[in-house]
Amino acid sequence: MNIPENLKYTKEHEWARTEDGCVCVGITDYAQHELGDVVFVELPEVGSHVEQDDTFGSVESVKAVSDLFAPVSGTIKAINADLETAPEAVNEDSYGKGWMVVIEPDNPADLDQLMDAAAYATFLEAEAK
Amino acid sequence: MRTVLYETHLRHGGRVIDFHGWDLPVWYEGIKAEHLATREACGLFDTSHMGEIFVYGPDGLALLDSLVTIKVAELKKGRGRYSFLLNEAGGIIDDLIIYCLEEGERYLVCVNAGNSDKDYAWIQQHNAAGARIENASDAMAMLAVQGPTAAAVLKAAIDFDLASIKRFGVTELETLAFGQLIIARTGYTGEAGVEIFLANAYAEPLWDALVAAGAKPCGLGARDTLRLEMGYPLHGSDIDESTSPLEAGLDFAVDFDKPDFIGLEALKTQRAAGLQRRLRGLELIERGVPREGQDCYVGDKLVGRITSGTALPGSNRGIAMAYIAGDYAEVEVAVRDKRLKAAIKQPPFK
Repeated sequence: MNIPENLKYTKEHEWARTEDGCVCVGITDYAQHELGDVVFVELPEVGSHVEQDDTFGSVESVKAVSDLFAPVSGTIKAINADLETAPEAVNEDSYGKGWMVVIEPDNPADLDQLMDAAAYATFLEAEAK
Repeated sequence: MRTVLYETHLRHGGRVIDFHGWDLPVWYEGIKAEHLATREACGLFDTSHMGEIFVYGPDGLALLDSLVTIKVAELKKGRGRYSFLLNEAGGIIDDLIIYCLEEGERYLVCVNAGNSDKDYAWIQQHNAAGARIENASDAMAMLAVQGPTAAAVLKAAIDFDLASIKRFGVTELETLAFGQLIIARTGYTGEAGVEIFLANAYAEPLWDALVAAGAKPCGLGARDTLRLEMGYPLHGSDIDESTSPLEAGLDFAVDFDKPDFIGLEALKTQRAAGLQRRLRGLELIERGVPREGQDCYVGDKLVGRITSGTALPGSNRGIAMAYIAGDYAEVEVAVRDKRLKAAIKQPPFK
């Protein structure tokens, strides 16, 4: 399972990456693998506000619907519009082309509550049991 | 429950889920890859969870004829036909295929996995003449080989010539490597190919031979998207004891000129009165994925409910089947918190 060192993780299997004071968000390799072929991604409007741990969208595979949870509170600065026509990017490159939103955090310290790569790996092992 | 191929599925990396009590793979590589492989080359499916009931002799033929919606006596040796067991109200106890292996002597009835015990009990319940009936579901495996290159795969794996039987034809083949095979030119994908019935002991060697010949293992996920793309109904979702073959648009499998079968009077009454609802194909005009249980509206009026839905692998188009009351060109589907426009469309959705 691919768990990049430089990212932060949620228990709902989102990843968060800090870029120029903003937080880029997507779902983990584990999550895309569990979902299977992603066929639809629903994302919020740019400019809307999200609260930490609240749903901000959904990702659907052929077999399942899964909510997306915000890793930090803040304002949506950008969404990955390419996923509208190419949702399979979530499977093919979950940490890259499969990114979903960029959030400008209300409080950057929110990130401190997330897991680092080692903690997420331990979390996944515990979930598998 | 597990089919005899359970370990084989794990060996191929199958993602095993619970399907109506059966541990079966939902996919190996992925639903999209498996769906497209079946459309473009050849898919291999373990359908051993399906039920096989053998019915013997003239009394058995008469018994079947009294229960199902088609004229079984008109089936020639080597032919199969889709049909139904109905309750008195005309509701569908099960949909099945009856294969004639020997006229008046031996019939194979292939029924749905979750229904085989119920079907067997229903048949026995009406077996006043004491005909010989055998539920072979636990002893038999079933593999489906489906796709445009199925003919080449079958030739290489079991030296069988697909062109030797027509669609819905059936034949028996004695092989050294896999024992006695019943090979039927049927399937649930809309592609050329066969369904093979055989003894459990030979299932794994046959599976391996078919894979070696180029068939791609496919899970239940692709089986479902393939059948939905064709508009084939699934018992338990699109049809059940509360729906009739007429409502489901499956009149082709009902011989109204038969003197009698259980449910005939109810169907005649329903036909004369006119249908209140029909099973329709839906294709979303807007992006989204329709799912079972979602309601369909025209304006504020609730006109129906989705019985099966998915996004088609490859195109990601949202398709569904739904019982709709009334004739409309378009409805709105309540998908999660939105209303999405959908066109009423006659399947297949290919």
